Amino acid sequence: MLHIERIPLLWVFFQAAVVVTWCFTDLETGPGAGVSVTQPNGDRFKIEGRAVVPGVKTQDWVSTARIFVEGEEYVGFVRTDGSFAVNDVPSGSYVVEVITPNYRFEPVRVDITSKGKMRARLVNFIKTSEVIRQPYPLQIRANGPQTYFMKRETWGWTDFLMNPMVMMMVLPLLIIVLLPKVVNTNDPEMRKEMEQSMNMLNPNPELPDVSELMTKLFSGSKGSSKAGSSSKGTRPAVKRR
Amino acid sequence: MAKLILMCLKFMVLCSTVEAVFEDQVGKFDWRQQYVGKVRFSHFDTHLQSSKKVLLATENNVFASLNTRTGELLWRHVDKIGPEGNIDALLQHGQDALLVVGDGRLLRSWEINVGGLNWEIVLDSGSFQSACLIGQQDIVKHVAVLKKTVISLHYLSNGHQKWIENLPESDTVDYQAVYSGGNGDVYALGVVPHSHIAIVVYSLEDGEIIKQISVEAPWLSNIQASCAVIGQGMLTCVDSATVSLYMLDLDAQSEMTQIPLQSLGLDVTPGFQPVLVSTQPNPAQPPLSEFFLQLGPEHHLLLQLNDGQIVTLRDFKPAMLVSFATTGEKTVAAVMSPKNMTACTINLFSAESGRRLLDTTLIFNMDPNVGKPEKLYVQAFLKKDDSVGYRVMVQTEDHTLTFIQQPGRVMWTREEALSDVVTMEMVDLPLTGTQAELEGEFGKKAAIQDGLFSMVLKRLSSQLILLQAWIGHLWKLFYDARKPRSQVKNDVTIENLSRDEFNLQKMMVMVTASGKLFGIDSKTGSILWRHYLENIPSNAAFKLMVQRNTAHFPHPPQCTLLIKDKDTGLATLHVFNPIFGKKSHITPPAMPQPILQSLMLPVMDQDYAKVLLLVDDQYKVSAFPSTKNVLQQLQEMASSIFFYLVDSSQGRLSGYRLRTDLSTELIWEVVVPTEVQRIVSVKGKRPNEHVHSQGRVMGDRSVLYKYLNPNLLAVVTESTDLHQERSFVGILLIDGVTGRIIHEAVQRKAKGPVHVVHSENWVVYEYWSTKSRRNEFSVIELYEGMELYNSTVFSSLDRPHAPQVLQQSYIFPSSISTMEATLTEKGITSRHLLIGLPSGGILSLPKMFLDPRRPEIVTEQSREENLIPYAPELLIRSEWFINYNQTVTRVRGIYTAPSGLESTCLVVAYGLDIYQTRVYPSKQFDVLKDDYDYMLISSVLFALFFATMISKRLAEVKLLNRAWR
Repeated sequence: MLHIERIPLLWVFFQAAVVVTWCFTDLETGPGAGVSVTQPNGDRFKIEGRAVVPGVKTQDWVSTARIFVEGEEYVGFVRTDGSFAVNDVPSGSYVVEVITPNYRFEPVRVDITSKGKMRARLVNFIKTSEVIRQPYPLQIRANGPQTYFMKRETWGWTDFLMNPMVMMMVLPLLIIVLLPKVVNTNDPEMRKEMEQSMNMLNPNPELPDVSELMTKLFSGSKGSSKAGSSSKGTRPAVKRR
Repeated sequence: MAKLILMCLKFMVLCSTVEAVFEDQVGKFDWRQQYVGKVRFSHFDTHLQSSKKVLLATENNVFASLNTRTGELLWRHVDKIGPEGNIDALLQHGQDALLVVGDGRLLRSWEINVGGLNWEIVLDSGSFQSACLIGQQDIVKHVAVLKKTVISLHYLSNGHQKWIENLPESDTVDYQAVYSGGNGDVYALGVVPHSHIAIVVYSLEDGEIIKQISVEAPWLSNIQASCAVIGQGMLTCVDSATVSLYMLDLDAQSEMTQIPLQSLGLDVTPGFQPVLVSTQPNPAQPPLSEFFLQLGPEHHLLLQLNDGQIVTLRDFKPAMLVSFATTGEKTVAAVMSPKNMTACTINLFSAESGRRLLDTTLIFNMDPNVGKPEKLYVQAFLKKDDSVGYRVMVQTEDHTLTFIQQPGRVMWTREEALSDVVTMEMVDLPLTGTQAELEGEFGKKAAIQDGLFSMVLKRLSSQLILLQAWIGHLWKLFYDARKPRSQVKNDVTIENLSRDEFNLQKMMVMVTASGKLFGIDSKTGSILWRHYLENIPSNAAFKLMVQRNTAHFPHPPQCTLLIKDKDTGLATLHVFNPIFGKKSHITPPAMPQPILQSLMLPVMDQDYAKVLLLVDDQYKVSAFPSTKNVLQQLQEMASSIFFYLVDSSQGRLSGYRLRTDLSTELIWEVVVPTEVQRIVSVKGKRPNEHVHSQGRVMGDRSVLYKYLNPNLLAVVTESTDLHQERSFVGILLIDGVTGRIIHEAVQRKAKGPVHVVHSENWVVYEYWSTKSRRNEFSVIELYEGMELYNSTVFSSLDRPHAPQVLQQSYIFPSSISTMEATLTEKGITSRHLLIGLPSGGILSLPKMFLDPRRPEIVTEQSREENLIPYAPELLIRSEWFINYNQTVTRVRGIYTAPSGLESTCLVVAYGLDIYQTRVYPSKQFDVLKDDYDYMLISSVLFALFFATMISKRLAEVKLLNRAWR
């Protein structure tokens, strides 16, 4: 349990480290959590970047792509080379997303100061002031095609065999059929040996039932050997076929 | 630790039980239709002879390319809604299309083959006037953009600005047009209304002003409306007051020459502003010297400018629409003239001579339920024998595009009115004759009247009918199987429409903003009927109500559309049959007074039509239908009919009660001070909603009863102060009968737009948190407690205990466009929220995730109840999108309707596109799933059967052997 208690501590350290690095790398604080007032006649800025879908030609996906800045507040389009620019954005903090129906892109938060300084960071809706820097101009890579579909449950032999119910049925059957053949329980020496090993395993004298259990088990196995013989009865029939 | 793991496991299990679409279900019961909106500019791609593209720029800020063979979208770009995405101009040059967007704010160049952006630049501020391509020596390299105060020239290749110049005296002169004749000069044409024309000539190279002239023209007020440049730089204007043409050579003259139309033997229709139409096929060359002059609504003339003289080439009367088209070196004029009441003919004429070209007649049939033709776009092409062939795209008043080939074959039609669906309803399809017969057998009246014997006979006859129908079906299958596949038509027509066994196929009645009504088959998406209502005010509000459904057989189903002018409040009713789209013979009442509220009562008249009450601004109530029977019923029920009115401008909610003489009395009033907050929306519950379980079973086996008040209203208010520290969103739960405020919640540091869903005992709303800059969901649930006050009936007037209120909020990682809850027949199926996202996805979020009883600390009891532990963030899983990659752009509304199957809910999402699908919130528990493994179950059965047979045989053999031993 000790290490579990340590995890939050580690987390605090990590956060502190992040905050410290942020303080060092970014002295210009940018618009913090509270500052996103848009002046009606303030300057307008341009958010630039490039979107890449690995392994797919740009002309195959750019016609369906759009850039959303804070939902549909500001809209941009992707150029034929994959780069994009969203014009006329006032200062503030925005979530920039590449919207395509077929590929998945991670959103990025872009902060624009009133002087027009830009910075990009990971989107974190829970800790909104946390800063994990991303490159600016934005470099957004698709992390694969969208997975809209569930896989059908297909039926296979392995599924059937690995089913716990089937396992529970098959394993005892195997034991019942095979065990009497492997171990000759009628041999008295063998029997003694087994009994000894059992005693070794259970040195506790308070459990005298074990021997009883053993005898029961063996008598059971005799029964099962009978069952085996009955199954032998069918075997010639199989041979006949 | 173990608990934590268990919790995680449980969470995963819960997540995985949530439904999603399987890949093989694509297109099986869902369909999507994509639209672009009312076309503003259109260009056929002519730079390649074999091209089959047409570019459309629409009033919905959409720029798209269509395949002219099929009418399908090749690509489409949807810009912002509103004036910032407004497309001001569309110019095409080769493979590039230039768009001026947002009142001249942006200039974009698109690659039209791929549909990708070449470049986009920001232009200087200033209101846009005109744009034109500038060519020199047969090469077009630049585009000129004229604004109120500046003119700028940009390279076509990269959009870079070549030069920008201020327009002289722009404070007095209203510059309206820019023109270039391909000789290296750029003309900016401006006018000082009722005084003079100002012409500024710029050099293409450096933007230097070469010449600046001003010409007296005291009769002119608008260049774009009444002037055109014709031939070698001849500015020609037409004036209706002096009934004259005025001409000015832009290069040589400094005074306009007046040519009275009477000298040409022409006459203007009184009260009509004549229009000039010229054509400039190549921007690097001057316009043609032929032009159209429209003198009346159905009177056009083809004129030619020949050595300063105007020659009439041909007089077209009657002619509704004219258009020029150019292919190769040839320019033709297409003229549409009426043939009879239902058809028009289109003919081609040579532009140079005015001669009619042989074999170019095309017939355009006009549906009486479709508006008049509005615009004509002609795609001309050279045939192999060098003659000109053409196809036309006709745009009608109801925003329909029809593409026609000679001699009148309609290649495709696009109902662009459907890009702006305002409201819709789903109506059950009627039963077929056999189905009605079967249903009739179980009618209550029949059972009492008839004896046993006739009942048996009836049963037998109905079985016979069923058998007959089945044989007929088999025969049809057999007959179709022999035919080649292409000939088999499974077209749905109004005649063969019938309800399917699970009532999954319905008629979607859609009302569009243009006033066109559509009846769409929900299974295939084919439009079964359309009806264009003329004279719909542009700012009309619509409310569609189903007065009688298809269940009352001899009486036809009946829908009523209330059309209300938002400015005057005056309303009209359109009563129609939702299955056939025909206007009903019932005359709706005339309503001289503005209408404040309309409400549908569950009361029916003797013809099974539900009663519609209309409240006018004198608070007088009128009923429709208003037969004696209805009035009598209303008098009896009057004391239990309550309604409410919302006046958001004064922030007042007031409740009224009906009196027996159909006047009303005010019983309560809630005033929301308008200085502080304003009412944004008021949401009641859906009247056709069923709640199956009265309560929830808790972990300790006790029951928490839901507060199911059918009269509850959720009122959303937003603060008028929009400062992010002080703005708030308020929600009031008010009983609509008594006016009692059940609950009030305020979300501080939040602002709208607020989306609300109100159903059962819960209200879910979404808002923007200004503090954390994220979207948040909040859910309010109301419970009566562990005991029910009156379990048989709910009365707002007798409910002494206030309900327990639970509330919880969550973070949602996206903004949303619209929201609706699923609805099923009996309300047994668990509920999902359908959330339309701006990205076009429709997310099906289980209500289970929005449950204020989600515990922060997991206990034995909460686990027993299957409550998901609280997590602040709601996830968007792409498997939850019910429309996979079939995105619905600009989704504006989601309509849900129950089907005959309890597990299935029909969903229609509409916006720019329309998408219809089915959802199964608790999976398909009442029918076999479509992946049901028939093979496995039958093979297991057969295997078992054979195993018993074999083992039986073996046992016999064994017995025999033993007997021998």
